[in-house]
Amino acid sequence: MSVEETTSPVIADEAAVLADLTGILRALLEDYEPDDIEITRDTTFHDDLELESIDLVAMSAQLREKYGEAINFASFVADLELGQIMALTVGELVDFVVTSLNAKGKSGA
Amino acid sequence: MTVLKVGELDVHLQWLPPSGEEGDRPPPTVVFVHGLLYDSLASYYFTVAPALAEAGIGVLMYDLRGHGRTSRPAEGYRLEHFVDDLDALLDAAGVTGPVHLVGNCFGGTIAFGHAAVRPDRVASIIAMECEPPIPRWAEHIGTGMAEAKAKLAAPEAIEWVKREHGAHVGRLTKTAAKILRVTTIAEDLPRSRTIDPSLVDVRCPVLAVFGDESGLAGQREELESGLGRCEVVVLEEQGHSVLVERPGEIVDLVLGWVRRNAAAELEEAG
Repeated sequence: MSVEETTSPVIADEAAVLADLTGILRALLEDYEPDDIEITRDTTFHDDLELESIDLVAMSAQLREKYGEAINFASFVADLELGQIMALTVGELVDFVVTSLNAKGKSGA
Repeated sequence: MTVLKVGELDVHLQWLPPSGEEGDRPPPTVVFVHGLLYDSLASYYFTVAPALAEAGIGVLMYDLRGHGRTSRPAEGYRLEHFVDDLDALLDAAGVTGPVHLVGNCFGGTIAFGHAAVRPDRVASIIAMECEPPIPRWAEHIGTGMAEAKAKLAAPEAIEWVKREHGAHVGRLTKTAAKILRVTTIAEDLPRSRTIDPSLVDVRCPVLAVFGDESGLAGQREELESGLGRCEVVVLEEQGHSVLVERPGEIVDLVLGWVRRNAAAELEEAG
């Protein structure tokens, strides 16, 4: 496999991923008409955002649409129990996306 | 998000393609059908679905009408509506061959209902903590739904659930209360079309899984004598939530069952 010199490898930008994820979460939250909530790396999905598990499924599907097949949230959380999944923070998910994208960039897949 | 137009509904579904190699034959497809009010396809997505896809099984999950991110019409919640939705969804998703229906609680009831009207389409049923849609089920569901509706209508109920069971269950309960409030589901379900109590119309193999503490395992003898081929597994020290609390064992049971059925089909085909 050859990598063209002119193409820079995909190095995902953490701030950009956080912004994307915030946008996706705000769209999902609209259904619940929440008060204005600040979303940071420390925000948790269920305690802070009060999302349901089905919202996380929708979110993971949207991450896939945005970033491609490299973002496999279902397999990322496969070893976690539902309670642990709901207790994840936005920051942990951002790190997962950045790591997945960078791994994809390095493998050239 | 994957949404398919199915009749008048926008149905939210997730498809996990099989990732392993199962041999020359097309890989088996499992369709997961979730339970009532508190449930959605997330119960499968975050538990058993990824492991089954990795083991070479195609996995289709969807949100029932009124639930998750599928449309919530105000009325039309008898069992036959759910059965028709499943049938139309398989058409819309382009699923042609017979599928293994895995149903949790009411999802299993839908699976039995579907197998009774479309035997050509159902390779087998894996029913977790479920009652087939015989007249006795309609009585049970009527009582249960009326109780739930009365209980959850009380304003303090959701706050109590939140305190006792945490924020996520609180949120799910809020949704359950809303479904009961804005739809006719509690009134419609007990008026569902039922199947013959002898279960003569269910001709596919059935794997029934129960928790020993839930009381539903008492149906064992009826299922075993009524159904042509039925295996019953009772998980010890386990209540109603077998799927969420025992996902590892459910994966092994489903995988073993689907593979044994595929092998039996091959043998029959000669």
